[in-house]
Amino acid sequence: MRFRFCGDLDCPDWVLAEISTLAKISSVKLKLICGQVLKDLQGEGIDYEKILKLTSDAKFESGDVKATIAVLSFILSSAAKHSVGSDSLSSELQQLGLPKEHATGLCRSYEEKQSPLQDSLRTRSLRLNHLDSVSWRVDQTLSSSELQQVNEPLVHLKFTVRDGDRGVTEPFAMTVSAEKFRVLLAGE
Amino acid sequence: MLLVLSEEHKEHLGFLTQVDSAVVGEFGRIAVEFLRKGTNPKIYEGAARKLNVSSDVIQHGVEGLTYLLTEGSKLMISEIDFQDSVLVLGFSEELNKLLLQLYLDNRKEIRSILGELAPKLPSYHSLEWRLDVQLASRSLRQQIKPAVTIKLHLDQNGDQTTKILQTDPATLLHLIQQLEQALGEMKTNHCRRIVRNIK
Repeated sequence: MRFRFCGDLDCPDWVLAEISTLAKISSVKLKLICGQVLKDLQGEGIDYEKILKLTSDAKFESGDVKATIAVLSFILSSAAKHSVGSDSLSSELQQLGLPKEHATGLCRSYEEKQSPLQDSLRTRSLRLNHLDSVSWRVDQTLSSSELQQVNEPLVHLKFTVRDGDRGVTEPFAMTVSAEKFRVLLAGE
Repeated sequence: MLLVLSEEHKEHLGFLTQVDSAVVGEFGRIAVEFLRKGTNPKIYEGAARKLNVSSDVIQHGVEGLTYLLTEGSKLMISEIDFQDSVLVLGFSEELNKLLLQLYLDNRKEIRSILGELAPKLPSYHSLEWRLDVQLASRSLRQQIKPAVTIKLHLDQNGDQTTKILQTDPATLLHLIQQLEQALGEMKTNHCRRIVRNIK
């Protein structure tokens, strides 16, 4: 069966298996756990203690708690990835066997946070290097050992590049003669 | 297959005859603990004080025992071979039995620890990808050139390295096809026969 929130592919088996685990928690608690998972997906960190307290009624073992967090992370990030509307997400989750109140609660939390989630996923996309800053300096060569009156301008450029993974900045310096710099600016 | 022990090794293990079997058992336990977690020189000091000998002698004794166990486990020698190898040392019957028991109890674990020492190639950690389309360049306007940029994260003994690759979709499809063919090799008769025989 093809699901839009899985990118028009089959739903993974482990997600199907864990839907029944989700149904064991009450729908109110599920909405609160969703809030926590959404915070984690946006990079704000997760409060594991709170989730343990919310699932303690359903008497979850530690494996079940981790499975709940994993399946909610998958559903929410996958839905944001494929820009699925909250109504279609709700109907697809009900097709998978999630009870109606749970699906509605989950989709309401998703709908509130859909744009910020997509923005944070966009910033986390693959990017190799960033240009941090550019600084320049123009020098005027007055004379040299070859010729007494030179009067040539020289442009020094320094690009500070931030590496994608390590986050360290590296300077990249170069010198451009006046002619070459005019060609660079003209850009044709 | 017999273990051949050097003279120095025999000398180090000679110390074990001078202490009673409870102490030898203790040394055996320390040797296995060291194989699991790494050496702790403080234990030598404590034992040296209790037995009234220098800590060097204790260290040699424990190291000799460790070497005996690792060589035996590495070569997976049988009980009889182990007993014959130890007979050369001229220990008492009781001590021989103790050493044999120590070897048999810990053999499997030592083998699994030794298995982890083999050199490893960088292994897959994760993969990020991005699909770009080049629309124009300084030399040519109004193009459509799709490209897939891939960042491969590799892990080697805890060090993380990354490799950046770029390809066009046609080459990527070809690559996928080749890899699926490689996986398909597992289903041929030749591979099935070998896998059956290993199991």
